[in-house]
Amino acid sequence: MIELVGVKKSFGKQEVLRDVSVKVNNGEVVVILGPSGSGKTTFLRCINFLERADSGILKFDGKEIDLKRARKREILDVRRHTAFVFQNYGLFAHKTALQNVMEGLTQVQKKSKAEATKIAEDALKWVGLIDKKDFYPSQLSGGQQQRVGIARAVALKPEVILFDEPTSALDPELVGETLEVIKNVAKMGITMIVVTHEMSFAEDVADRVIFMDGGVVVEEGKPDEIFYKPKEERTRQFLSRIIPQDSYVI
Amino acid sequence: MGNYFSFERFIYVFPKIISNVSVNFHIVFWSMLLGTILAVFVAVLRLKRIPVIGQILGVYISFMRGTPLLVQMMIAFYGIPIVFGSLFMNAFGINLNRIEPVIFVEIAIILNEGAFLGEIFRGAITSVPYIQTEAGYSIGMTGAQTFTRIVLPQAFKVAIPHYGVDLVGVFQNTSLVFTLGVVDILGKAKTLGAATGHTLEGYVAATVIYITFSLLLKGAFILIEKKLAD
Repeated sequence: MIELVGVKKSFGKQEVLRDVSVKVNNGEVVVILGPSGSGKTTFLRCINFLERADSGILKFDGKEIDLKRARKREILDVRRHTAFVFQNYGLFAHKTALQNVMEGLTQVQKKSKAEATKIAEDALKWVGLIDKKDFYPSQLSGGQQQRVGIARAVALKPEVILFDEPTSALDPELVGETLEVIKNVAKMGITMIVVTHEMSFAEDVADRVIFMDGGVVVEEGKPDEIFYKPKEERTRQFLSRIIPQDSYVI
Repeated sequence: MGNYFSFERFIYVFPKIISNVSVNFHIVFWSMLLGTILAVFVAVLRLKRIPVIGQILGVYISFMRGTPLLVQMMIAFYGIPIVFGSLFMNAFGINLNRIEPVIFVEIAIILNEGAFLGEIFRGAITSVPYIQTEAGYSIGMTGAQTFTRIVLPQAFKVAIPHYGVDLVGVFQNTSLVFTLGVVDILGKAKTLGAATGHTLEGYVAATVIYITFSLLLKGAFILIEKKLAD
């Protein structure tokens, strides 16, 4: 279980997160929706300390960690039990696809080269990129890079994977293949927190949807509750703009 | 050219001049070695944006880049013995006035290189997209691991061509040292010219030597670049 309580974060005078609390059960897939600037990405980044929250508590792995005062050791510990998939992939440009996946296995988990190679090759096979294992990121399409990014995350066998708009940088044709892989991650039973704008994906995969706006959680619930019976006016407004309507006015 | 240039005299002075190239190499070697180490500290400390230290380094870099190297050499040569003379005398029993001038020249170039190379290194490090550092953190690597395994190898490739250009520049700048009485190739050419009354042969010899070694150094770095690109 991973739980965040009372997360607050400001950038200068801009209050990005005002008291956000979220609890995610083991194996649960939670999708966070919201307009740009609602703080969803910042929230996700606060979980593994890519962003340092101004206040808040992280309950994870039976430990309680103060988000503001966490020590290096605690941060490393959280990061070693979670993985992050970036919007812009974040692959190591000087390493091949295989080396990208192996890096954490050999350097962090201290696995032998042979064992790491085996795990990394399995992970690449699993995302359908084993034939590209010796390619550098610059030689791969966006969708392929993102799948390597997902393989890198999954190979570490984390308890939680955090997805930060994993398909937003992809061109529409490549979104499908990437979402397919993410769906497979969900089937593995890994706890997932996904920030995305892909509504149909959220509907298919999410156990729970959280709608954020203006730095707070506006509403949360089962996908069909949120999508078809939203309680809050703000949620309705947001969804009406992005879910295709019956009639278009052109 | 007639009397001004004779090939025999050129052949006569060339070996005498080239034997002094070791002086230039000595300066290049120590300046680059210690200058590079200093520059790594300058670059890393600047990137850490530590209050006060950051500002001090900013002033230091502005000074080094805003004054000619020759002036810096003069300041080191005449200034260091005056400012630190009694300190060294009392503490270590060393009389700075008796130390070879080449040491002061090297101090000046080391400090100069610390600033120039420091900026080259800083630029190379920041050229590696920060998201890769974040990715390193996200898979659980420590800051040191991320820096040495992810950032440095990529920054190194970016820095190498600039480093090569800088090295050739330092080699050529060693010609300034003769103004402080250090007899390098140019100093030797000048003394031979004064002794024989024929100046041009010596300077042509110095030119040939500078060009040859500059091109060799440049070629070596092109080879390194090619190696790294594979």
